[in-house]
Parts: sequence; structure tokens; C-alpha cells
Amino acid sequence: MSAVRSLTRGRGRRLTGRTRLLISAATTGLLLVGIILCSLFIGEQGLSVKLELRDLPPSLQHLFGTDWLGRDMFSRTVQGLTLSVAVGLAGAAGSTVIAMMMGLAAAFLGRMVDRVVTWLIDATLSVPHLVMLILIAFVSGGGIQGIMIGIVFTHWPSLARVIRAEALSVVTADYVAVSRGFGRTRWWIMRHHLVPHLLPQLFIGFLLLFPHAVLHEAAITFLGLGFSPHQPAIGIILSESMRYLSSGMWWLAVFPGLALLVTVRAFDMLGHSLQRLIDPKHSRT
Amino acid sequence: MKNGIEMRFNTRSIMMTSVLLLLVISLIAACSSPKATERESQRRSDKLVVAIGSEPEDGFDPTLGWGRYGSPLFQSTLLKRDDQLNVTNDLAESYEISSDGLIWTVKLREDVQFSDGQPLTPDDVKYTFETTANSGSAIDLTNLKAVELDGNNIHFKLGKPQSTFLNELTTLGIVPSHAHGADYASNPVGSGPFKFVQWDRGQQLLVESNPSYYGDKPSFHHITFLFLNEDAALAAAKAGTVDMAYIPSSFSKQEVPGMRLEALQTVDNRGITFPYAEPGGKTEEGYPIGNAVTADLAIRQAINMAMDREKLVEGILEGYGTPAYTSVDGLPWWNEDTVIADSDIEGAKKLLAEAGWSDSNGDGVLEKNGLIAEFPLIYPSGDTLRQSLALAASEMMKEIGIRMTAAGKSWEEIEREMHASAVLLGWGSHDPSELYALYASKYSGVDYYNTGYYSNQQVDGYMEKAMAALTIEEAMAYWKQSQWDGTTGSSAKGDAPWAWLVNIKHLYLVDDALDIGSPRIQPHRHGWPVTDNIASWKWKE
Repeated sequence: MSAVRSLTRGRGRRLTGRTRLLISAATTGLLLVGIILCSLFIGEQGLSVKLELRDLPPSLQHLFGTDWLGRDMFSRTVQGLTLSVAVGLAGAAGSTVIAMMMGLAAAFLGRMVDRVVTWLIDATLSVPHLVMLILIAFVSGGGIQGIMIGIVFTHWPSLARVIRAEALSVVTADYVAVSRGFGRTRWWIMRHHLVPHLLPQLFIGFLLLFPHAVLHEAAITFLGLGFSPHQPAIGIILSESMRYLSSGMWWLAVFPGLALLVTVRAFDMLGHSLQRLIDPKHSRT
Repeated sequence: MKNGIEMRFNTRSIMMTSVLLLLVISLIAACSSPKATERESQRRSDKLVVAIGSEPEDGFDPTLGWGRYGSPLFQSTLLKRDDQLNVTNDLAESYEISSDGLIWTVKLREDVQFSDGQPLTPDDVKYTFETTANSGSAIDLTNLKAVELDGNNIHFKLGKPQSTFLNELTTLGIVPSHAHGADYASNPVGSGPFKFVQWDRGQQLLVESNPSYYGDKPSFHHITFLFLNEDAALAAAKAGTVDMAYIPSSFSKQEVPGMRLEALQTVDNRGITFPYAEPGGKTEEGYPIGNAVTADLAIRQAINMAMDREKLVEGILEGYGTPAYTSVDGLPWWNEDTVIADSDIEGAKKLLAEAGWSDSNGDGVLEKNGLIAEFPLIYPSGDTLRQSLALAASEMMKEIGIRMTAAGKSWEEIEREMHASAVLLGWGSHDPSELYALYASKYSGVDYYNTGYYSNQQVDGYMEKAMAALTIEEAMAYWKQSQWDGTTGSSAKGDAPWAWLVNIKHLYLVDDALDIGSPRIQPHRHGWPVTDNIASWKWKE
């Protein structure tokens, strides 16, 4: 981001929101395609143990170095990112769906439902995300499925709150009152006035939930929940690397960590540029 | 919308955090500057600080299992093993076995006192053995029918001859019947070389030498045992705050100025136990027994043949280990003929082909009558070393067309699946009854012993004879035959119910000035086996 700004500052003008969006969308898209292609290309082969190649620092053959069993860290990182992205997409999508249903229900189904939904949102937000996540993942049987369920059921409240507020403002708007006066049903209003209005919000919400979901997946695998410890998940890779940092094997942590950071940051940027474009009120100034 | 979705990442803070993280990491990596100043002053004092292992959670009560793998420190035993594993007297003046093997008589020395000043009497011995037998702990005294006293002689009456009863006499620390209350485990009194001072759970144990100890006085008056994890132990060693620290082999390349690395020979082994039975059975708890692939002798033998144990030692243990061929390598009851020529890929392939295994669909994995040569290899997920061994071993077996799928599981899951899957387990004891428990058919499915339901009447017969033997020499001969008698046995040459992989050397960073004598071959690392000869540790002149 700052690189982009310093590039443009010299010429005395800022990038427009649209250009910025295009750039971040392109970067993110490239990153995603890159990760998926790489992981398809690597497959199981790249993860095999080669004891004679262990503890190698980064080189041209092994871009990210190798670990204490001679496994190529680039392959492991890419595999880990694929898993993170998959969990992130599924988790964010699930959360978005729940958020939409909650928000709509609160706005449309009367005051009682609104109270319940608001209470639910507050209750979920009042417990630290990670604690809830661990509990839910544990109860639902652990593994990748447990983590996904956990993410889905912990990430919806903040978005639900936004959707609820938006929906309430639409419901009380004049054109909706007119619509109602024409005898349109609630269902009709929901489909024709509400959903089109809320879709961009949902999409941005989804994009902004994604990095969160990815980071939480990394956090929970870091804590050792869910997978066999030899499966490449970014969190597992990072927590394993701790044992070897004091022996000077910095590459075990730095590259996977940076890869996670870049992925998360890319999606975050995309979400925010989109948000600024769609919703001028939310722009930075 | 200002307070809309509160999940923004502040660009600057993320960048700052990552830069900081990088800095910290490189600092940790670069920072290995020694601080040996404290070390000098510690030397030649009568204090010793060690970080040699984890805390005994159940405390220090021998009747509950304390001291099974190493010196009980606070208590003393009737007999003991010297550094060559020969049996010598400790509290006993002499011992003898009746001609039918059913009565063991120990003559107790009379001059021994507990650290609280009370004399140690035959009643205390009787009390200790009876309490232990009834405690339901890991110590198996079910064969001990009665303990009878006659003056200073103690008669142990057995239900049937048991040559391994010797081991109970060498490991069970005698507790005082007058001071063995509910809090004994956290406040032990005994007649050993050291007496208890203080135990801060999760932190440290303080002991001091026992002035009334009857044997050679230890040269250290105060010893502090710190309970540190491996990283913290290494850090403490580098900082000069401990005189001795246990480290895993992954830390072995690090030089610590003022300290040397002692690699102790062990029978602390790791190996793969295979389900021996055909599938179909169930345990009493309803867990499945048996696996069709590993029930095939050719599969088990081929894995043993193809395994490159030297490479595992070099690649995973950084050279600090030895190839393992049985569970008792290097012990007096080990049969040296069990050593096989391994990393023999061609031989293994030939063996499998002769047994009818072939790769008919070209996917790299063998088949036989529709059965695919694949099975799970489970390792406990918290154990990095077993994980590494499992992954490397699986990789090696790909070459001969056997697919072992490594999977990390919790111990609860392992208990459910270990009779139908291969498991990476570890053993190693100074007691030959462990050999019995691992291979005797009557130990099938008992605890973690014969998990694969191995059963060979010939082997059972040898081991029963070894148990019933009246002399150590006779027992040794039978133990050896049970492993390999020329035609059958429990080793890889015979039925190969296990593929033993490596014996792990125990690594200790020891102060250059500290002499820890010549420790014996070390057993599986529960407790503190290295303390066996702690009374002979001293500063070098």
C-alpha cells in the first residue's frame, strides 16, 4: 500500500479508488491462482521426507529451505496456504450467510426477534473469539470440519450487526413505505428492495471476514487442535518451527509467516478498496 | 457506518509487528553468547543444580511406582545393580533362593536408620512389599503370596517360581511403616543417600545429603532438580545456571561453552508394533483387533529387512543413537544373533514377491489377492521424535511397495486403534519381565504391552522357562532362545511382530568440571534413570 502511494506521490496525484481496487483485485487474484496452481502441481510428492536434504537454508532448489526431515518448506507452505485459503473461504462464506439471515430476521420479524438477535450478537461478541472457536471446534469433533464449524459460528456477529442496521434503515425508508402502501408483501420487499441494497455490504463483509478466518485457522492449528502434526497447515508449521529457532533455522518460521501475512493483507486490502468505492461514507477522510 | 465492520487491519501496525517479529527471530537465532561467569563460582561448592527431566507427578512414594526407572534417591533398596548391571547387596547382607524357586530369603543388615533417626527393620520391608502389592500401581507383585519374618531374615513366598522377582528387590525402595501416611508421596522419608527438603510443584525439588546414610557419602550436600522444558533447560545451561541439563538430539549441534555433551548408551528404544492377528476380533471394550496386511509374515519381515536404521539414527537422532533390533539390545539377556542385515531393499522385494505380493496395477503399492499392502502407522501426536521416525520409516517403505500412512493421534485414540493398526511405541527396561510382557500371548491386549496379539507357543514356552529358572544364567539362556532359537523366535529373524528402529542415546549437557562417573546403559526415560549413580558424582580435581 505504502509502496503504491509513494510511487504516485511523486507525480502529485493519488490513485483513484477504482485503480486501487483493480490493483488489489489483480494482486489477490494472482496470489490465489498461484497458490492453487502450485499446490496442484506439487501434490503429495513435494512433502516427502528426504533425510539427506535436511536443515538446508533457502537456495534455488529449495526456495524456502528444508526442515529437519528434509521436506521442502516451499511445498509445505503452499500446501498450508491452500488449506488456510480453503478453510478461510468456507468459513467466511458460512459466516456471511448466518450474518445475513440474522440481520434480515432482526429487521423484519418484529421487535422480539430483533431483541433476541441483538442479544445473541452481544453474547457472541462478549466471549473472546479464539476461546469460542476452540470450544466449538472441540465439541464438533475437531479436524478440518471442526475448525470450519468453529469459524462459521464465531465470525458472523460483527457483520450481522451491520446488516441489521442497514436493513432497519431500508425498512423505514419512504420508498419502502410507499411500496408497502401498494400492498407489497414483506417477502416481496425483502427480495426487491432489501437484498439488492445489502448485497455489496455482504460481499465486502465476506472479503473482510476472510483474512480473519485465515488467521484464526492458523491460530487454532498453531495451538495444536485439529490435525495430525505432520499435516502442513500454516499454524502447525509455525508452532513446529519454534523448536528449531534457537538452532538458527530462521527460514522455518519467516517464510511461512510472511506468506500468511501477505495472503491475509491482500484480501484485507481488496475488501477495503471495495468498501471505499461502494460506500463513500466509509472512505478514510 | 463509521463503527461498521470492526475488523480493519491497520497497515502500519501490521508492518511494524512483522518487522518486530523478524527482529526478534533473528535475535533469538543470533543470540547464543555464553555467560559462563556464574559457572566458575558454582564449581567446587557442594551444591549442584540440574535440569534432567520432568517432574514425577505422583510424587516420591515407591509403593506407587517412584524409582522404577532409576535411583529412588530418598529410599534404598534391598539389592541394587552396579554400573555393569550386576546385582549387589544394598540393604541386604545376602539373599538366597530355595531349590523349588518359591521362597526368596533376604538377610537384612542391622545398622540402617531412616533419615528421621528410626531404625529400618524387617517390619518395614514387609510393610513396603505388602502395601505395594495392594496399591494397584504399575508394580506387579501378584505372584507374591506372603512375606514372613524370622529375626533379620525376610522370606518372600511366591505363587510360582519367578526369576524376575530379583528386579522387584533391586527397584522397590523401602518405606518406613511408622511414617508412611497420606502425604508420604510429597514428603518422603527414607534411608537413601539423600533426604527430602522441599518440593515446589512445577518448579523444583530440593534435596540434601542424608547424614545417617550407611553407604558411601555423596560428594554433593545440596542438589536442586529444576523442572524445565527442553528449551528452558538449554537456555539455563547457556546462562550458566544449571550444571547439567537434558536436551533432545535436535539441540545437539549447539555448543555451550564450559559444558560438554554426554551421550549415554540406552535401551530406550522406538519401534513399530504390528497387529499380528488376522482381523475380525474385538477386545472387551469393543476395539477392533488384527490387520490382514500386517498379519502376513512376509510383510513384517520385509519391513524389517528394508528399514535403513543407520539412516534413521543419522538423519533423525543426529547420530546420537544406535540401530535397534530387539527391545533388549545390549542387555545381559539379549541374543546377539537377532541382528539382521537391514536396508536390504532387493532382499525385501524378493521376499514379498515370493510370498505372492505384486504391483499388478502399477500404482507403486503391492497387492495380493485383492488385498492392498497398506495400513496406518500411528504415532502419539505430541511426540516430535516419534513423528519424525514414523514419517521417515513410511517414506522408506514406499520403495518396496508398502504404504504405511502416518497419522498422529492422542493416546486415547491410540488405545482404541492400536490392536488393528501399526503403532510407533517405545520401551526399554532393566527388567527382563518387560520382554515377557511384550511378547507373551497372555499379555495380549494388556495395557500397551502385546498390542498386536502376538502369539507363538514356542516363544511362550521359552519365556515361561526363563521365568521359572532358579539361576540367573539359566534364565538368560531361555530369554535369549525366546528371541531366536535358530528356527523361530520373537525377533525379526523369527515372527517379526515388531520392527524395532532405534535406541536413543540420552544427551546431557554437563559442566566440564563435573564428573558423572560411568553411567550404566540407560532404560526408557521415565523418571530420572541418570541419577542411578548420583552418589558418585563429583567435581573433577
